[in-house]
Amino acid sequence: MGELRLDPMTARWVIISTEKDLGPSGYDIESPIIEGGTCPFCVGSEKMTPPEVDADRPIDSAPDTPGWKTRTVPNKFPALRNEPVIERTGVGMFDMMSGVGEHEVIVEDTDHDKQLADLDIDQIKKVVNVYKRRCITLGNDDRFKYVLIFKNYGLAAGASLEHSHTQLISLPIVPKRVMEELECAHKYFDYKERCLFCDIIKQERNYRHREICENDDFIAFCPFASRSPFEISIIPRAHQAYFSEIADKQIESFSEILKEILIRMKIALNNPPYNFIVHTTPLNGNDNVQEYYHWHVEIIPKLSRIAGFEWGSGFYINSTSPETGSRYLREVKI
Amino acid sequence: MPELRKDPIIGRWVIIATDRAKRPNDFKVESADMAEVTPCPFCAGNEDMTPPEIRSIRKDSTEPNKPGWDVRVVPNEVPVLRIEGDLNKRPHGIYDMMNGIGANEVIIETPDHVEHMSSLTSEQIAKVLTAYKERIVDLEGDKRFKYVLIFKNHKPAAGASKIRHCRSQLIALPACPKSVKGELEGAKRYFEYKDRCVFCDIVSQELEDKKRLILDIDGFVAIAPFAARFPFETWILPKKHSADFTSINEYDIKELGKVLKEVLLRMNKLLSNPPYNYIIHTAPYRRSKQGYWGTIDSDYHWHIEIIPRLTRVAGFEWGTGFYINPTPPEEAAKCLREV
Repeated sequence: MGELRLDPMTARWVIISTEKDLGPSGYDIESPIIEGGTCPFCVGSEKMTPPEVDADRPIDSAPDTPGWKTRTVPNKFPALRNEPVIERTGVGMFDMMSGVGEHEVIVEDTDHDKQLADLDIDQIKKVVNVYKRRCITLGNDDRFKYVLIFKNYGLAAGASLEHSHTQLISLPIVPKRVMEELECAHKYFDYKERCLFCDIIKQERNYRHREICENDDFIAFCPFASRSPFEISIIPRAHQAYFSEIADKQIESFSEILKEILIRMKIALNNPPYNFIVHTTPLNGNDNVQEYYHWHVEIIPKLSRIAGFEWGSGFYINSTSPETGSRYLREVKI
Repeated sequence: MPELRKDPIIGRWVIIATDRAKRPNDFKVESADMAEVTPCPFCAGNEDMTPPEIRSIRKDSTEPNKPGWDVRVVPNEVPVLRIEGDLNKRPHGIYDMMNGIGANEVIIETPDHVEHMSSLTSEQIAKVLTAYKERIVDLEGDKRFKYVLIFKNHKPAAGASKIRHCRSQLIALPACPKSVKGELEGAKRYFEYKDRCVFCDIVSQELEDKKRLILDIDGFVAIAPFAARFPFETWILPKKHSADFTSINEYDIKELGKVLKEVLLRMNKLLSNPPYNYIIHTAPYRRSKQGYWGTIDSDYHWHIEIIPRLTRVAGFEWGTGFYINPTPPEEAAKCLREV
C-alpha cells in the first residue's frame, strides 16, 4: 500500500510507494531507449494486463480478448491502490493518509507503431470518448476529489512502454498545482467577476502572436508565461468547468485540434518526447468553482532539463519566448 | 532584454530569455554525456577566459584574475538575468511582467580540474561555503534584489554544461521565488499555531526517530525528509535555529564542509556517481516589509536540499505538482547510512 505524505512546509502531498521499495540498484541511470520484449498492449497480449475496465469492442466479443479498438486496464504497477476506506493518520508531527486511488492505462490503438498524432480522427475521437467515460465513472466515487488524465510520450517524458497509451489517476485530494490554479482563478473572479481563462482566451484571440491555431470550439496557443519552450495550451473557447461536460460536437473539434497540434509539434520539433495533461475542475466541490475554473490541456515537449535552479526556486527558465515558439508551430508546413 | 512574466493562473514568475531565444534545432533531444570542453575556462591559468572576477579567496599578494586563488566567483558568461537596468514593472493586457534584472554568478570551487565536489577536501568545501556567504551578504546592498539562490547542477542530466570542473551558481532575483514563498508561508502558519519553528521540530523528531537520519555530526543533521519528492533526496539542516545561511560562523562552516562532503561521498558511492542538484534555501532579504516578514527570524530555518537525478519528471508530476517517489525515505536513509 502506497502512502500519501504531507510536507509540513509547503503543504505538498507526496505519494510514497512503499510497495516498490526500490533500492539503489532499482534505478537505471540515463538509459536511452524504451526496452523491447512482448508488448502487453498489443492485440493478443490481453492476458498480460489486469482485466479491462473499459473497452471499445463489438458486443459479441468477450472482454480481454482481441477485437477491441481502445482498451482501458488498471495499471499493473499503480502509484495508488483502490482500497475501500481512506485512512488518515498522524506520525509524530507528520500527517499522512493511505494511498487510495485508481490508476488506469488507456491503450489508444491496436497498432503498436502508431503514436497518438498518427491516429485518424475517428480513432482519436474514440480515445477522447474513453477519457470522458472514465472521468464520469470515477467521478461518481465520492472518495475521489480529482481525476487527472495525462500522457507521457517517449522515455525522456517518463513513458516506460512504447505502445501509445494515456494514463488516468483518481486522487483523494486536490493536487497542489491544481489548487494553485484554483486559488488564482478564484481571486481573479472575486475581483473581476469574470473567468480568468475566458479573459485569457479573449486576449490571445485579439493579440494573435501566441496563437497557433483554432477551430469553432477550441483555441491552441503558447501561454504568456510558459514554463517550458514550446509549451502549448488547448482551451475550449466557451466557458466549461469540467472536461467531462465535453459535448459530442466538441469531442470532434477537440480531436481535430489535438491531432493538428501533435502533428505540428512532431514536425517542428522533430518528434520530441512530450507530456500532456488535462486540468479539470475538482470533483465534489461545494462553492461556485464551476464559475471560475475552466478546463484545459497543457502540452509540454521535453526539450530542456529541469536543473537545480528550478527545483530550488519554482522559478522556471524558458529559453524560447512563447511568441517565437508559437510562430514556429504556426508556420510549420503540415 | 529578458523578461520576467507572471503566470496569472498560479502566480509563478517565469524568466523569458528573449535575447537568446532558441530555435527548435538548438535543442538536443536526449543526448548522452558530451565530449569535454578544452581548454577549461575554470582552471587556474585560464582566468582570462571568464569575465573578470567579482570576488575570490586567494593567497596574499596575488593579483585578481591571475592564478593563486582557491575559490573564484565570476559572472556567468550567458546570464539568464541581466544586472543592468531597472525593473520597469508593467502590464500586458491582463498579464503582468517586469524586466529580467538579476545577477547570475558562477562560483568556481577549485583551481584544479576536478569534476566532483566530493573529491575536494572539507577545508576547500568550507572555502566555497564562505564564498556563498560573502556573495549573499554583498548582494543585499542591491535594493532591487529580494532573494539569492545558491545551487549546483552536477553533470548534464542535472542541467550542467559540458565543462567538467566543479562549480556552483548563484542567481539574485527581483522577486521571492515561489517555492521559497511556499516554505515561508507554511513555516509561518506552523509558528502561528504552535509557537515553534517547524524545521526545529523536524530536526528533533528525526533525531529521536532515527529512521530517516543519515548523519548526525556536531551542529548538523542530514536526513531523508518525511515527504521526500525524489528517491534519495537528502536535506542538511543546522540543529540550532537560524533563519539566514549568512549568520553561520567560521566554526560551523568548517563542520558544514565536512557534512556536505560526507553526504556527497555517500551518495556517489551508493548511486554510482549520479547526476545531482543541490540548493540552499535561506530566508529572503528583509530590508523592507518588516511587518509582513516580522516573524521570519523565529519561524524560518535555512537548509540545503540535495536531489540525485534518478527519475524523470513525467506528466503526472507536471500536472499535479504531486510527486511520485518510488523509494521510501526510511529505506533511502538506511542505504545512505550503511554504505
